[in-house]
Amino acid sequence: MVDEKKLREKAKEVLARDDVRRLIGWKRGTYGYESAPVVIKDASEAEELIFDPTCVQNPASFITLEEKPPVPRGQEPDTRKVAVMVKGCDSRAVVQQLVEKAYPRDGVIVLGVPCTGVVDRRKAQKMFGDTSEPVLIKEEGDKFVFTIDGETKEGPRAELLADKCVRCRFPNPLVYDELVADEVAVWGADEFTDVDEFEKKSPEEKWKFWEEQFSKCIRCYSCRNVCPMCYCLECVVTKQRPQWTRRSTDVSENTAYHIQRAWHLSGRCIECGECERVCPVDIPIMTLNRKMTRDVKEMFSFEPGIDVEAEPLLSCYNPQDPEEYIM
Amino acid sequence: MSEEFEPNIVAFLCNWCSYAGADLAGTSRMHYLPNIKIIRVMCSGRVNPLFLVNALQQGADGVLISGCHPGDCHYLEGNFYARRRFMLMRKLLEHVGVDPGRVNMSWVSASEGAKFKEVIDETVAKAKEAGPMEQFRRRQLNW
Repeated sequence: MVDEKKLREKAKEVLARDDVRRLIGWKRGTYGYESAPVVIKDASEAEELIFDPTCVQNPASFITLEEKPPVPRGQEPDTRKVAVMVKGCDSRAVVQQLVEKAYPRDGVIVLGVPCTGVVDRRKAQKMFGDTSEPVLIKEEGDKFVFTIDGETKEGPRAELLADKCVRCRFPNPLVYDELVADEVAVWGADEFTDVDEFEKKSPEEKWKFWEEQFSKCIRCYSCRNVCPMCYCLECVVTKQRPQWTRRSTDVSENTAYHIQRAWHLSGRCIECGECERVCPVDIPIMTLNRKMTRDVKEMFSFEPGIDVEAEPLLSCYNPQDPEEYIM
Repeated sequence: MSEEFEPNIVAFLCNWCSYAGADLAGTSRMHYLPNIKIIRVMCSGRVNPLFLVNALQQGADGVLISGCHPGDCHYLEGNFYARRRFMLMRKLLEHVGVDPGRVNMSWVSASEGAKFKEVIDETVAKAKEAGPMEQFRRRQLNW
């Protein structure tokens, strides 16, 4: 378990440095089973930082979201570093952003937080119901202990873990400058059984499933906005000239949007599961992403977000790439 | 009255090989099926996979992307990138429930007029088998 005192001290230490502009971490949420991401500029605010199984968000999403307006003449741009706290899965996003040269490696300070799994809000809501107060969650052995509205409740760890944590292979950050706790043992493995299960369906069944899911979509673009890999300044789905998808929310446009989103993440998705978490209408977005991850792994033996030195999948090629369907 | 279904195929042909191949098929007076609408692009690597989604939305029943043979690309490596992209895009569309026969790719060089004819025949046959593309075609074309 992460010692929060140590975490705060590390944060203060980093924020006190002259070359650090801000730190991104987690604080207690205002209600429910999730914490809130927080950007801290001053060491005195570091007391609100936490890390527990409510910290499901991916702070790596916020590194690239910062607006960099043109600087007035005579002024220098702020080149100080951004510090970010990452779990194992979040660190893969940092790796992939570094691979894509979203920012230089010495522009960020990565504080690694080894993680033993976070709670899925939807699963917890199903088990314990909703609440308007922030919930405290502690991990004790193979149980999560919840403090909901002053009452203590227990739930089995295996049933409450987020899907990404059940199959987590990287609980320890892959890239970091400092670790705030000791590394933890790996417990998960990823066999892509869910993808195989889905592939057994016939094309008609698949389309029936997706038609139902995509027609729910209200095109709020939350999945795009929260994604750590979606940081283009101008996104193709909101572009007007040329307009690739119209803004109406019918099945055709929604399908095109979701195909575009999954396509732009193929070979880049690091499976933090944020898109699915924020979806207000519960579309299983990760089903598409995981299919792409599996295929990329099978066809090109490539996995995004592992190696900082790797070349992005679609900006390189291998003359021996598969081409069995090409006439 | 039942008419046989005639698919619409959008073909993206590269300027240097496949388009010349199609030209050769024409000048050699070979009969290939009239279902294809050719769009000339400078390289198969220029074809964005979103073109394909857009074509399917706007009423195409099948798409063909054709370029130079690997190693013969006018721009040296454009077709290698295209191969990777469409391999993935095809799998993605298959996952959503689109018949993979709607997405075709071929290598046709400038001297392969006869091969071009075969490719078109096969593409049209596959699209006929898959039937009309009804899944995510735009319902309101002029809004």
